[in-house]
Amino acid sequence: MTEPVTVASRRQWPLPRLADPAAPLLEVRNLKTHFRLEHGWLQAVDGVSFRLEDGEALGLAGESGCGKTTTALSLVKLLPENARIREGSIELFGIDLVPKAERAMQRYRWREISIVFQGAMNAFNPVRRVRDQIAEPIRYRLGQSETIAKARAVELLDLVGIPKKRADAYPHELSGGMRQRAMIAMALACDPAIVIGDEPTTALDVMVQAQVLQLLEQLRMDLGLSLILITHDLSVIAETCDRVLVMYAGRVAEEGPVSRVFTAPRHPYTRKLLGAFPSIHADRRTLEIIPGQPPDLTAPPPGCRFAPRCAFAMPVCTEVVPPEVRFADGVRVACHLFPTSDVQTVSVAPVAPAPPLAPPPSAPA
Amino acid sequence: MTAPVVPMSVGAAVRPVGGVGAFFKKLVRRRNGLVGLIILGTFTFLALVPDLLVGPLQTAVTAAGPRLGPPTAAYPFGTDELGRSVLNLTVHATRISMVIGLLATIITVGVGAVLGIVSGYVGGRLDGILMRVADFFLVLPTFVLAIILTAIIRDVLGTGSREIAGIRLSLLVIVIVIGITSWSSTARIIRAQTLSLRELAFIDRARVIGASSGHIMWRHILPNVVNLIVANAVLTFAGAILTETTLSFVGLGDPFQPSWGQLLDAARTVGAPSLGAWWYFLPAGTAVVMVVFAFTLLGAALDDILNPKLGTRR
Amino acid sequence: MGIRYLARRLITAGVTIGLIVVLNFVLFRMMPGSPERLLLGRMPGVSANVLATTREKWGLDKPLFPDQFVAYISSTVQGDLGFSFAARGRPVTEVLGQRLWPTLVLFGLGELIAIILGLALGAWSGWKRGGIVDFLGNGASLILYSTPYFLLGMGLLLVFATGLGWFPTYGMSEVGRAYAGPFDELIDVGRHLFLPLATVSLGLIGQYAIVMRSSIVETMSEDYITTARAKGLNDGRILRSHALPNALLPTVTLIAINLGYVVAGAITVEVVFNWPGLGTLTVDALASRDYPVLQGVFLLLSVAVVVANLVADLAYGLLDPRVRR
Repeated sequence: MTEPVTVASRRQWPLPRLADPAAPLLEVRNLKTHFRLEHGWLQAVDGVSFRLEDGEALGLAGESGCGKTTTALSLVKLLPENARIREGSIELFGIDLVPKAERAMQRYRWREISIVFQGAMNAFNPVRRVRDQIAEPIRYRLGQSETIAKARAVELLDLVGIPKKRADAYPHELSGGMRQRAMIAMALACDPAIVIGDEPTTALDVMVQAQVLQLLEQLRMDLGLSLILITHDLSVIAETCDRVLVMYAGRVAEEGPVSRVFTAPRHPYTRKLLGAFPSIHADRRTLEIIPGQPPDLTAPPPGCRFAPRCAFAMPVCTEVVPPEVRFADGVRVACHLFPTSDVQTVSVAPVAPAPPLAPPPSAPA
Repeated sequence: MTAPVVPMSVGAAVRPVGGVGAFFKKLVRRRNGLVGLIILGTFTFLALVPDLLVGPLQTAVTAAGPRLGPPTAAYPFGTDELGRSVLNLTVHATRISMVIGLLATIITVGVGAVLGIVSGYVGGRLDGILMRVADFFLVLPTFVLAIILTAIIRDVLGTGSREIAGIRLSLLVIVIVIGITSWSSTARIIRAQTLSLRELAFIDRARVIGASSGHIMWRHILPNVVNLIVANAVLTFAGAILTETTLSFVGLGDPFQPSWGQLLDAARTVGAPSLGAWWYFLPAGTAVVMVVFAFTLLGAALDDILNPKLGTRR
Repeated sequence: MGIRYLARRLITAGVTIGLIVVLNFVLFRMMPGSPERLLLGRMPGVSANVLATTREKWGLDKPLFPDQFVAYISSTVQGDLGFSFAARGRPVTEVLGQRLWPTLVLFGLGELIAIILGLALGAWSGWKRGGIVDFLGNGASLILYSTPYFLLGMGLLLVFATGLGWFPTYGMSEVGRAYAGPFDELIDVGRHLFLPLATVSLGLIGQYAIVMRSSIVETMSEDYITTARAKGLNDGRILRSHALPNALLPTVTLIAINLGYVVAGAITVEVVFNWPGLGTLTVDALASRDYPVLQGVFLLLSVAVVVANLVADLAYGLLDPRVRR
């Protein structure tokens, strides 16, 4: 039990040929994914970097349109026709996926990185049985026989709590929660290195949400999954993830361990986001509203993209892109409030001139 | 009749388009709209002044050319088996075909729109019955029904050589029959739109302040389905021309007022394809294809403008 | 497919056929002057004896309803559709039976070819949207869609039969020819069949291709196609396993609806090529006002279309698990 489990030893299937066993599981550097529009490029993701270690769960948070889904889809290059990865690298086991052609990319999809899509009703093919759709990647990506693939699909359904007798149901015959479970089973089909959850619980009602999250959490424990969870629901990240990456307008605002970021947010946007998030404990009146709209990403403001909406904006903020500051507790923040020269000396606690935070969840309402 | 299978039947969501001028501009800016309008404009011109262009319609008596002669300088499209100029016949047939097409379209769309609006607005049992009948007509091989109806009505009326407003009764029978047999798809489309309009607040308001059903349908529903009616009429026109052509081709045309279909029937009867007399049927055939093609293009352009869903598809 | 779906389709088809039978009665018995003039009547060659028996059997001296109606229904159910004037008093059923097979061969094969090629062409051009096949295919489809079948037939006849002399110009087989064997006869029929079959297929391919193309384009933007891509499946498998099964669904319905319209094409193509099927029969009957035959043709074709629609509905039920309700 105490023996450290590595990707290579845990996996049923061999790593890609060029894999570097010493490299981190996933290392994204300076990713820029832009969309070509009639009047220029929309900079949906503009210089995002992060790392995912084996067995880790990373939450991607931010308002809708901040580029979290585009970031995730860039990892497997499942982008719309008008999108281009214009810069940066995506290294999986040290292999850069950015230059890979479509055919070569197919090797990595689902076997290495699979996705649990939002709203499994439409993500499943309506005219094929759920079991067959789960068996499909096992059959065609792992080259298993039809019989083995189907048997494995039934096992996977069982694993996510769908009884064997429902295995040959069609998607419309399952409830929303069941479909999402089946979607998770499908994502596990090839024993992937990374599972991306794209708003996996958003379409579900609260009770079912809790069940599905619990399932994800348990699978993570049992199977040692590495997880990237995209959601605008911060409580989901708080419950499920080790680290959180807060995005704003295509860039990383703040990243760090969930325990640190959620209790002591540093970036003004993170603070607003946590304040804007309704908690059952918090008084409704203290709910903060972020004034203004996210910027137009075809012509983003120079400097910090949050500056136009930021209560602490300084002259420098509208001119210079804030550099990333790394703190000793593993948090990094891109904000001019934290001068780079202080990097080595910044204390672990939240620093001035931050105003008092909204009452923490434990405070009496 | 001839196939409204192409999925250009205008969908339920129709957005307001602004004034007639703005609408026209939008239409002309699209390549399919422009080409469609140019072709139809040309044929409309031919239909309006055939006498000015090629002289009065030639008959067996006034025919002066060789029999079934190939194109020459004097007879650019050649001559038929009676020695008449095919050019003369084809241009005159334009008027007949277009007028029958237009009248049949008016009847079809008129009946379809009225039944569609009433059925959708009144609802209940009337709606149930009307839509059953519409479905019945959709399944029926309406062309065979049209053949039989035309034959029977003509036998019963004993059409002879009577004319109404310059159109022979035999052709008016065709107009009516096309109307009777092709209203159902229009009715279905208009009904669907009426159903969604009925749920809107302003209709409710009108009902609450005590407007009569007739008033609401005329004043509130009709103006909101006019776009749809126009778009549908364009496609119906194409279908009506094809139906008339086909009915004439099986022998239900009128030799005294020849349409394109009547000419094609005559060409087939004398065996023009087997005799290699391509000039006899090619002009009328090309005319039919071009006009139907133009209406289809125009219908597609209208669909683009009126149906916002297609525009946003990536 | 659920029992209820099946039952509902069967009942709808049954009711529709019933309505067609009633419509036939109304058309031919309630017009002024009919049925004496329309159904019995003015053609030479029908013996007074036959007329008298028929008048008796159909109860024509009794009131329209219920006597004539009941008599009509019972004779229709028994397959007695009256007799043909033009065929000198032969029963309509017999005349129809003789003409049914050539039409079935021509249109069965034509539909089959058009469905296979049209759907393939449409699927291809929708899949490779904006490609060369799409551009040419779409243009050709639109032109073909605007062309009446018989015009297409006349063009093919002019070029390939009269001009190039590759095929015979009319009929189903060479008149008075003695065949060396069944294979020889088959070749002769095949040569006669080729041009009409090409006409029917070409006329339909355009429509089916247009429908299939837009259906594929619609399907390609669905989420489950993104899922299939995310699974790393190759294009061929995505097309076969995910895009086609879904894109076919609306196509099946449209092909079924279209069948009623195809009948018009059927009639005219047969006329152009003198193909001895129901189409030429219809036009001949029309020319000689042989109403009993027209009545029979209408009944037969209507029932055929309703049955074909039923088959399409059942096929839809098999293809789409969601119609169990």
